[in-house]
Amino acid sequence: MKRGTKGNFHQTLAPMLFLLPNMLIFGLFIIVPAVQGLRMSFTEWGVFTQPRFVGLANFRELAGDAVFWKTFTNTLTYSFFTVLLIMIYSLALAMMMHKNTIKGEQVFRSIFYIPSLLSMISVGIAWRFILGDEMGIINYLIRLMGGNGVRWLTDGKLAMMSIIAVSVWAQSGYYMVIFIAGLQAIPNELYEAATIDGASNHEIFRSITLPLLKSTLLVVLVLSTIASFKAYELITVMTKGGPGYATKLIVQQVYQVAFLEDRMGYASAMSMVLMLIISLFTIIQFKITGKEQGHE
Amino acid sequence: MKKATIVTLILLMLTTAVFAAGTKEAGAQKDVTLSVLWFNDGDESEVFLETMDDYLKANPHVRLDMQIIAYSEYDQKLKLMISGGNPPDVARITTNTLSVVVDSLEPIDNHVTDIEAVKQQYLPSMVAFATNDKGEFVAYPTEATANGMLVNKTAFDRAGIDVAEVSKTWTWDEWETIIKKVIAANPTMRYGLAVDFTPHRFSTLLYQFGGHFLNADQTNIQFNNPGTIDTLKWFKHVHDEGLVPKSVWLGSENPAELFQAGLVAGHIGGSWNINTYNTNVKDFEWMAVQCPKGVINSSVPGGKFIASFKGAKNQDEAFKLMAAFADKQHNEQYARGTFNIPSRNDAEVVYPSNSKDFEVFLEDLKVTPAFTADEWKNTNLSKITTYIREQIVEVLLGNVTAEQAVRNVDQKGAAYF
Repeated sequence: MKRGTKGNFHQTLAPMLFLLPNMLIFGLFIIVPAVQGLRMSFTEWGVFTQPRFVGLANFRELAGDAVFWKTFTNTLTYSFFTVLLIMIYSLALAMMMHKNTIKGEQVFRSIFYIPSLLSMISVGIAWRFILGDEMGIINYLIRLMGGNGVRWLTDGKLAMMSIIAVSVWAQSGYYMVIFIAGLQAIPNELYEAATIDGASNHEIFRSITLPLLKSTLLVVLVLSTIASFKAYELITVMTKGGPGYATKLIVQQVYQVAFLEDRMGYASAMSMVLMLIISLFTIIQFKITGKEQGHE
Repeated sequence: MKKATIVTLILLMLTTAVFAAGTKEAGAQKDVTLSVLWFNDGDESEVFLETMDDYLKANPHVRLDMQIIAYSEYDQKLKLMISGGNPPDVARITTNTLSVVVDSLEPIDNHVTDIEAVKQQYLPSMVAFATNDKGEFVAYPTEATANGMLVNKTAFDRAGIDVAEVSKTWTWDEWETIIKKVIAANPTMRYGLAVDFTPHRFSTLLYQFGGHFLNADQTNIQFNNPGTIDTLKWFKHVHDEGLVPKSVWLGSENPAELFQAGLVAGHIGGSWNINTYNTNVKDFEWMAVQCPKGVINSSVPGGKFIASFKGAKNQDEAFKLMAAFADKQHNEQYARGTFNIPSRNDAEVVYPSNSKDFEVFLEDLKVTPAFTADEWKNTNLSKITTYIREQIVEVLLGNVTAEQAVRNVDQKGAAYF
């Protein structure tokens, strides 16, 4: 009886005690604000006014808000390409650098990792100096060679491509490190056996690396998707969401509606929709990967 | 015994009185930490610090807790502090911010004996901005600002144009002809004019073309008017013609940097640019000129203020600091040291240079219609200005017509009035 009680403590209570501080922080800073946000989304509320309950009016307005749906489409476009390119680019970098076979590999790892240490505001300012139409370094060089310059940030499509490219550049180093850890956890014997059996590099990648890297891929997929949905600083600094609405994402629109238009309730409704989308994507990603892992 | 009791009582009373006096003295000298929210938008820090030093010397029991915030984050920070019930004791505010936080400001009326005498010390436009709906004076003006045009004189000279002379009477049509000659005469100059990427600076053109944001009694949005539509069409025209760089309104490049780099012949910006260009421009001569005439000549008034808030913890000390910033000596010192327009009527400022440039801005300000200040102090207009900016860009991109853009603004804006 006594032993059983001690066992219960070790198996259930002790882990709970260790988790408690984190759960408290999570509850206070994530759950409580999320619930508050949900409550606010049913109100009409400015910073200096009392909230007034309006039921689903904010969500009804959202359904017919053309700017919101434009930012919604932009967010999906930005997220899809950013996540896809981050996955490919950071995995490629990790594949090149996880075996210590390249001379100066540590230096290269540092070079690729450093951008992820910088604040996105600094990254945005630096790239605006590089890509700016009139004052940008690239266009300066193009004009020196007799060209007219490229409208990197003032043409809608090019501006979106530019912010995706810079986002991938800035974040891939971080995900490269996660992939390197995943790759190094794959037993070398499997590669040796496959090589002895005459498997090509492509077959090794498809049959050994990719399946054993699935859990790492899921982590990178989920983290980069969430990060892409929340992208704010880089875009604000580089394009301010422009030209027009071309690079404006939901997060920028939430900020504008909440703090510039003073409509906290409506902005909360937008945030709720954003949270739902992120949750939905995360669940789908977990489901797909979980199903595939279950089949194996 | 009786005598001893009386003496004891007298001694007791004296002791009490001495201690009471001591307590009062100690209360007056009680250490106070004054929270001050601040932003810098130029080279004015040094001058401000001198004023603060003077105040601290006169009030040694006060310590300043300065929070200097980037201007881009300033409004949000201030609004959150106010709504959280923890406003700063003192804050520096612009006309834009003033329109948003006006109801949270502690009226100066409650802290001075003759408020009318205080008001009379300042420029009428500044008093108008700092007066709330109840007629209370809620902020000390520290500087007046105006929008106007600064030009690259060297570039005009190269084209053989005496810009000081032609600008006395020029219209926007004449400007277009002239500026094409200027660009042609200067191989490295790519554009004629850069306009700051803000609705406030855009409104300089809007007012000149006879447009407006609100109806006559300021009770509703009325962006849909012939003057506004003309302005939008003209603005698109000069962008399409390549006379104005697309990189400012479509790519948020800094027009002051383009001007300083010698890439544009003119810049419509605020009077604070005189200070910036005085420091930074060394490669060419520049000057302020009267803006070309549209339907009328106009500038846009603005300014910066210092204010305290309802519920601020140290209001007495806060109002002393504010008064120090707004007094004649410090106002003149500030205007002279930072190349700004003083907010006081009685200020006598002799600038080390550029006096003529200030005169030009002031001349534009003098002919500016009074309703422009009323529009820019309207709290509801401040909520729609970002959307207005987006709709202007949509017109420039050709995504909507000028007529559709003004209808969109009126439709959205009506919800705020």
